[in-house]
Amino acid sequence: MAAVARASERLALRLLAAADALANRLYSQPLNPLYQSGTIVVALYLVLVVTGLWLTLFYRIGAPWESVSRVTADPWAGNWVRGLHRYASDLAVVATAVHALRMFAQGRSWGPRTLAWVSGCILLLLLFVCGWTGYVMVWDTFGQHLAREGARMIDTLPVLSEPTARAFTGEQPPPRVFFFLNLFAHIAIPLAMGVVFWLHLKRLARPGLLPPRTLLWVVTGALAAGAIVWPVEMAPRADPFVLPAEMPADPFFAFWVPVGRRLSAGGALLLAVVAGVALLVVPWVMKPPRARVPLPSVVDEDLCVGCVQCSIDCPYGAITMVERTSRRSDLVARVDPGLCVSCGICAGSCSPMGVGPPGRTGRDQMASVREFLASPDRRPGEVVVACCDHGAGRAEARAAGAAIFPVDCAGNLHTSIVELLIRSGAGGVLIVACPPRDCVHREGPRWLHERLYHGREAELQARVDRARVRVAHASAGERGVAMAAIRAFTADVARLGRSVERDDADVETGCEPKLAAGRR
Amino acid sequence: MRAETRGGQTMSMVVRLLGTLLAVTALAGLIRCSSATMTAYPSSDGLLRLAWSARPERIEDCRPRTEEELAKLPPHMRLPVACEGTTAEYRLQVRIGDGPALDRVVHGGGLRRDRRLYVFEELPVAPGATSVEVTFDRLGSPAGGGPSSSAPRGAANAPKPVPSRPDVAAVPPHLALRRQLQFSPRSVILVTFDPDRRELVVLDGGSGPSR
Repeated sequence: MAAVARASERLALRLLAAADALANRLYSQPLNPLYQSGTIVVALYLVLVVTGLWLTLFYRIGAPWESVSRVTADPWAGNWVRGLHRYASDLAVVATAVHALRMFAQGRSWGPRTLAWVSGCILLLLLFVCGWTGYVMVWDTFGQHLAREGARMIDTLPVLSEPTARAFTGEQPPPRVFFFLNLFAHIAIPLAMGVVFWLHLKRLARPGLLPPRTLLWVVTGALAAGAIVWPVEMAPRADPFVLPAEMPADPFFAFWVPVGRRLSAGGALLLAVVAGVALLVVPWVMKPPRARVPLPSVVDEDLCVGCVQCSIDCPYGAITMVERTSRRSDLVARVDPGLCVSCGICAGSCSPMGVGPPGRTGRDQMASVREFLASPDRRPGEVVVACCDHGAGRAEARAAGAAIFPVDCAGNLHTSIVELLIRSGAGGVLIVACPPRDCVHREGPRWLHERLYHGREAELQARVDRARVRVAHASAGERGVAMAAIRAFTADVARLGRSVERDDADVETGCEPKLAAGRR
Repeated sequence: MRAETRGGQTMSMVVRLLGTLLAVTALAGLIRCSSATMTAYPSSDGLLRLAWSARPERIEDCRPRTEEELAKLPPHMRLPVACEGTTAEYRLQVRIGDGPALDRVVHGGGLRRDRRLYVFEELPVAPGATSVEVTFDRLGSPAGGGPSSSAPRGAANAPKPVPSRPDVAAVPPHLALRRQLQFSPRSVILVTFDPDRRELVVLDGGSGPSR
């Protein structure tokens, strides 16, 4: 099972890389909707809440089809709102699927991320149930079909004394209480989703809730325009005495109906349960063997100066500062191994190189770069490409004849490594990072950028010639972008001439004491 | 000094146009899919639906309590008649045309099967006029019998049995419906139990109940 899951992961990653590369080319990295799938879901959730509240004002549980029909007939305040409500719910399903696929493909589903994955599965289930209640509310042929299929499955459970399917047989009109409960569920489920959203984001520091403003308006505006240009139409009223050959249906919420119809009620329910369980167990199936699980960050208390930068930069809130009584500082960093995903971003944020996953701390990186520099393959003035493990650039750097210095994540890279490379005679250092919204570790490229260009703590020292340092963003599928960036940088470095090689290539590993003082 | 490149920020008009075209196509596809036509009932058959709910009859053995038995009971529990029994089960049989279409036993709900019983069956029927026969008979007693009475106890000195309490709210021990029904393609005819008339009736959605 694990082997199948791994093969699926690789396939999903390949598909995603190709789709990302295309979307980056067409819409640019910052506006790539595939990178923003999670935030788009939140934006659509807000659209659904607002339009849903408006539509609720016109809904009557005593005359469901008639009241929805009246709203649909109103072109100014009804039809397009209903269309927007419907299309937003459909897009929410698509965006949720893309988001889940990305998390699965990038291995962001297990360990400390298990809570996010499981709560995400619950959100998906709630989305489907909410959509189900929404379509049943209309009580057209499609709503009736969904109600009957749902009742068929519920009736296989030995929990209700009276089969729910009997409500739709035509003996009597469906009771008003059914429509009341349905409306109640349709309003209560989004409230529950709000709570689960909180749980979903609980382990993230600075969660991005909404997409960039441009994308936000483009998505909602496009859906609203679509609702005006292609308005929703009413399906015929539900009639228990007529079996329609065909019905207008929404496959985003009813994709299971053709399959479920071919199975017995118990079989359909079992299939739904199996599919749900298969999604829920992903964190346990995808977790690598214990020996291959990256170790959480550790703090060298002798080096920690209590500057708090690592706890600020940690994208998962895994580092807290606790008091201590030592000669060095009043505070010391503490890593919660239950929250740490071993992203190593703290290693890049710590000037004295006192924190990071074992083998990837700043000092470990220094040891690696010294070994790299000692290699007989090094040529003075050559371009060094620091490639993120998750993006493009490695093969392209090799093809362009540049030296490769691999890093797990661009956010891991300590700026002292960059300085040491330059001062040791490298013509320039090009860091090929993932696009900021696609970082497997959330904030790697963001903090790297801040450290290189905006003096964020653990900053690249001012004495380093910035013309010899560059960051390019290329996702795994953007090999052409990486190649172009390497070629352009190599050409620019060649124009700069040779860098001055210094013997005293020591780098500063202290931190700004005022930051530490200011945070206390 | 800033020296950072962000992939794809400088886009040509052609790429912008392609991006817009793809977005509009995706939006149109989403909206088209949103109201796609789905096959609901592929067959053109009609449907005979049997659906009703009723209280199953309580079958009791009743006998008068002896003086000794009454004396052992607390004063407020000294009912002169003691009744013990079970809840009836029913046999539902359906014949469509000349052949049997359904034959099953229906019992009450709940673990002790003493709650309301529910019938919900759907049987496909070819379009056209068809004779339909539905019978619903209590098991373990002659059809058409009234409230059950106790069996003889056997012992010579046993108290004389008394009739059990009448269960007028329960479904009758025998229900039958024999009709020639006209099934249109994809139409539903419902056979249900009318508790007021205490008989099976036919509903077809267009008119009121008919016997």
